Amino acid sequence: MASTTTPRASLGRLAGPRVRIFEHEARLGYLLLIPALLLLLVFVAYPFLFGIWLSITNSQIGVNGHFVGLANFQFEQGDSVFIQSFVNTVSYTGITTVLKLALGMVMALLLNQVFPAQRFVRAALLLPWIIPSVLSTLAWRWMFDPTFSVVNWVIIHSHLSATGVDWLGKTGTALTSLMIVNVWRGTPFYGIALLAGLQTIPVDLYEAARVDGASRWQQFRRITVPMLRPVLLVVLLLSTILTFGDFTLPYVLTNGAPFNSTHVLSTWAFAIGVGGGYISIGAAISLVLFPLLSAIVFGVMVVLRRQE
Amino acid sequence: MGHTEPAWSRRDFLKTTGIAAAGLAAGPIIAACGGSPAANPTPATAGAIPKPRPGAQIRLLQWVSFVPAADDEIRRQAKEFSDANNVQVTIETVTGDQLQPKTAAAVEAGSGPDIIQMQYGWPHLYDTACMDVTDLVDMLKGKLGSVNQVNDAFSKVNGRYLAVPYCQVPNAWTYRTDLWQQAGLTNFFSTWDELASNGKQLKSKNLPPIAVSLGHAYGDAITMWYPVLWDFGGREVSSDGKHVTINSKETLDAVNWAVDLWKSGAISQNTLSWLDPDNNQAYHSGLITGTLNGASIYIKEVYTTATNHKFAPVTSNAAMPKGRQGASTLNLIFNHAVMKWSNEAETAKAFLLYLMDQTNYTKWLNASVGYNAGPFHALTNADVFQQDAKLKPFLDVVGAGKWPGWPAQPSKATAQSQVQFVIVDMFAKAVTSGDARSAISDAEQKLKRIYELPS
Repeated sequence: MASTTTPRASLGRLAGPRVRIFEHEARLGYLLLIPALLLLLVFVAYPFLFGIWLSITNSQIGVNGHFVGLANFQFEQGDSVFIQSFVNTVSYTGITTVLKLALGMVMALLLNQVFPAQRFVRAALLLPWIIPSVLSTLAWRWMFDPTFSVVNWVIIHSHLSATGVDWLGKTGTALTSLMIVNVWRGTPFYGIALLAGLQTIPVDLYEAARVDGASRWQQFRRITVPMLRPVLLVVLLLSTILTFGDFTLPYVLTNGAPFNSTHVLSTWAFAIGVGGGYISIGAAISLVLFPLLSAIVFGVMVVLRRQE
Repeated sequence: MGHTEPAWSRRDFLKTTGIAAAGLAAGPIIAACGGSPAANPTPATAGAIPKPRPGAQIRLLQWVSFVPAADDEIRRQAKEFSDANNVQVTIETVTGDQLQPKTAAAVEAGSGPDIIQMQYGWPHLYDTACMDVTDLVDMLKGKLGSVNQVNDAFSKVNGRYLAVPYCQVPNAWTYRTDLWQQAGLTNFFSTWDELASNGKQLKSKNLPPIAVSLGHAYGDAITMWYPVLWDFGGREVSSDGKHVTINSKETLDAVNWAVDLWKSGAISQNTLSWLDPDNNQAYHSGLITGTLNGASIYIKEVYTTATNHKFAPVTSNAAMPKGRQGASTLNLIFNHAVMKWSNEAETAKAFLLYLMDQTNYTKWLNASVGYNAGPFHALTNADVFQQDAKLKPFLDVVGAGKWPGWPAQPSKATAQSQVQFVIVDMFAKAVTSGDARSAISDAEQKLKRIYELPS
């Protein structure tokens, strides 16, 4: 005897009103976002809001403080190390970003060519980015070591200098060392991202440009750069945010030495907040960049939107 | 064909797993609310000897000693205590510069190891998290005698002991006797002024220099430059801890002495970024003649079987020199705090009593081969100091010990000054710029800000 049950009826309890959400795409989408939103709330939003709260109290490690308004921010304005840290952070980010962009672009253009062992070279060039930051920075610290520097060994044996360079013992060279390591570590990120962008540019455009007599530089300026703009903006944005907040590299390589002259805001905040116990002042120091970074992010988003 | 009900629906699955998850979580939640009598035994009455609770598990967080045998011995004693009392004691070790961040994180979270090794003035920094162990310390004083003044100052907060005095790591000078003789020097310098002349003598003979850290080495740098400041009569703050007094003629004398030392090449100029392991490595590589350090350099050269004992026969030690206005030393100070969040405080206290038992503590001192010195009177004279005369300088420096911020009592402000390396940076800035007054003025400003921190 043939069944008279309809397909819907055969679903039994599943056909009830409760499961209609699975049929509504928008609601289902929001539902699926909830786990990610919860993670963001717990691990991003809560620490951020708690940090803001700490910065406007006089809390210390293990001691809940009370509201003090902007006293912590005002207090830090008179701190010479804070001012130096701010200047270091801005110059460290600015200089390394320009260098990483330039070197990353060169890397991307070269990797975009066809040559033997191309895949191997692409993977190998990613290594600085992949190696855990602490390990690579420790290796660089050894390379810059005042007693055992292999870099100085090469310099001395190449007769470039009789005594080598005190890489980490002078303010100028210590800051330069920080930037060298940051550029070494961050250039592959730019290179690979820009390479991905290069590979989406239609080859026809270059062919048409060549037919019209455009030089390589003109092709780069009129085709490559405009087409790469969205990728470039996103990469610059991410890199700027990450470099402004860089902690591992400055902490492991110099930790402010010599005489607190190479602190960036993150390491100075750590020294005051964790080492010294004044977690509220540490929070205030680390929040100083928030308005600046917010403005940068907003600006990039506006430019990207206009692009669309 | 009829439709059969699924054996287990999604609703059933969610119900069951939800109940199971709630059941698993209930135990810890109830225990955290104090509902488990086993987890929160009734504390012993004041003065009673703490007894370990069978089945208890406790953790002790400490640094990784520069002498591995010391850590091996404490682990052995932990196992011995655990086996004898049916408890589990775990010794967790981290590098010295990671110990404070871990401690700060534990204090802020209100949970973590039951016992934390407090270095320097941390009991003053984390006073709200450390249990009052005055009864325990009084008990130990009754058996072992008085407490060394520095351990006492660091572990006592507002008249109450917030940590059990544990040990010191004395710092003295380790040097190469062969190079000393080659320079035409007979005795090791006994005053700071003699250091200057001895260092110049080494330089004139093109011999490796004396070297001390001017970087942010949390041990070696402060154990050098605080005593220099004090021995010239300089003081960070007044005795009551209220007035910054760094900008004085005495401080200027000390800093000018350091500038002359630097300019003349009497000490190595490569140490502005030195951390604590750097002078050890330089000495074992034959690149320096002498340095200020704990006994680890001597122990590695003479006692550790893994090395090739290259400089063992020509390595000797000497006590701290005197200055124009006194003789001071600053040694690493360790005390053990039982944390307020510990659910096994009695077991933790019992374990600390076990560690401080004279027999056990002496075994640990002897395993340390002179790297550590005891904080109580009865624990100050380990056999090893009698058996090896060259280790005696490390015992001699204990009596003259002071603390950062001396003569003021340790406080959050003195701890802040130490953590920011204000004194070390003052000397570092002066020697590199040649401008002592400017460096002192900068240090004065920093100290005034520290002592004016919002409270």
